Amino acid sequence: MIIVSVSLYGDRKMVRHHCRMCLLAVMLLFTHLAAYGAERDVTAGQAEKYELDARKIIVDHVLDSYEWHLFDIGDRNVSIYLPVILFYENGFYLFSSKRLAHGTKAYKNFAIAQEGPHKGRIIRVLDDGSTPDPHASYIVDLSITKTVLAVFIASLLICLLFVKVGAKYRKAETYHTPRGLPLFFEPIIMFVRDHIAILAIGPDRYHRFMPYLLTVFFFIFINNLLGLVPFFPGGVNVTGNISVTFVLAMFTFFTTHWYANKSYWKHMFNMPGVPAFLKFPIPVMPVIEIAGAFIKPFTLMIRLFANMTAGHMVILSLTTLIFVLGSVSMVMGYSISPLAVLFLVFLNFLKILVSFLQAYIFTLFSAFFFGMAVPKESH
Amino acid sequence: MELLMPGLGLIFWMTVAFGIVLFILKKYAWEPILQVMYAREQQLEKTFTDAKRIEHEMTQLDTMKSTKIAEAEKAYDEMIAKAHADAEKIISEAREKAADEAREIGEKTEEMIEKYKEEAFRQIKSQISALSMDIAEKVLTEELSDRNRNSHYVSKLLDEIKVN
Repeated sequence: MIIVSVSLYGDRKMVRHHCRMCLLAVMLLFTHLAAYGAERDVTAGQAEKYELDARKIIVDHVLDSYEWHLFDIGDRNVSIYLPVILFYENGFYLFSSKRLAHGTKAYKNFAIAQEGPHKGRIIRVLDDGSTPDPHASYIVDLSITKTVLAVFIASLLICLLFVKVGAKYRKAETYHTPRGLPLFFEPIIMFVRDHIAILAIGPDRYHRFMPYLLTVFFFIFINNLLGLVPFFPGGVNVTGNISVTFVLAMFTFFTTHWYANKSYWKHMFNMPGVPAFLKFPIPVMPVIEIAGAFIKPFTLMIRLFANMTAGHMVILSLTTLIFVLGSVSMVMGYSISPLAVLFLVFLNFLKILVSFLQAYIFTLFSAFFFGMAVPKESH
Repeated sequence: MELLMPGLGLIFWMTVAFGIVLFILKKYAWEPILQVMYAREQQLEKTFTDAKRIEHEMTQLDTMKSTKIAEAEKAYDEMIAKAHADAEKIISEAREKAADEAREIGEKTEEMIEKYKEEAFRQIKSQISALSMDIAEKVLTEELSDRNRNSHYVSKLLDEIKVN
């Protein structure tokens, strides 16, 4: 998909050439890894104690957490400890995540589960501080986690940015060429309008969907870009978090059905032009249509989540590769690093493209769903 | 599995944050931006249609101008032609009139000549008659002596004069 998307833009021949080169580089890398794996099996006994848990590092970076780990100085862990907010059995609990000590301690019988179905989430524990309470009721966990804070920061940034742009437009003489920020954003806004909204919804009905489409586009785009920044306040896998994509998909779902017109509902429950036996006594068509209404936002949710998480994982894998190999032997670590860094640079450029592309795809598909919800009443 | 499990807290905060962003951006960003973009496009379109209209008017004016020029030229030609014709007419009329007058004068002159001629004849006649009378008197006086012999001859003379 990535190669296809790359070749959509720019000089096809050149891009194809570059892609071939990159594929070659990947193959070389995997050959190295295979050779390394074979070697490691032999020396497994000695190497194991130095080995980094690459999987844990990668998954921890991709997942949400109750603290924002900034960096380590030697053995000291520098983190922002975020507030934990819980509602449990009519009680309200607000405390710093520092009290949970990265999941090693319990506070007021709350601890971060280290395994099980709730792994990584706060659960009720018994007085020993680690055994899950078998009689615990549901915990409403509204903690400000890393991803929540990242969403807040991104939201604030987006609001400041676009309110500033909007203010410039309020004052603007309409016939003037835009300058500064408006000059940067207007082509993108125009792109969303002409190549997403008008294309997918139609030139006479797209207006009311424009604010949502633009917001969702820039929200995803800016969060994707912030996710590429490797340090605070970036680097959080916001758009690769299933809850975030779930909420975005839900917004699309509710917007679709809020604005859906008579024709849409008619198609859903009583599809015209379809033989009656498909609707009665077993309502095959309505069932398919209703399932489709839920599957559409579901695909939106999964697509964005999977693409962004996969991208983060690939970048993290390449970064950890240096340290994994370095922990085996210094020579290996240093020799792999130039290749890994080169590839990381390429991947980061690709991720910038993917950031745009995923925002585009999410917005385009949302627009297509809106377009289906407000068809021309021609049937 | 942790990756695929949506968390309630994040869903809640994300809904709140995105909702607020959507509301603020709709009110303070997209509406003014889209409005200005729309107004600008309208203005551009208007300018284009105006230019088209003016161009059309210009071509119309051009054709009008050329027709006017053609008309004027035609009128000029007509006027010249008419003037020429008038001049011809006047000249020919003058010529005719002159000819008429000349003829009239000629006729009058002839008449007068005739009259004078008659007058002259009459005078000549009277003089001839007087002379004849004188001659006759002389002849008579001469011939009176021999009246019988000459009287026949006198009357014969007189008859001859009358013929002339």
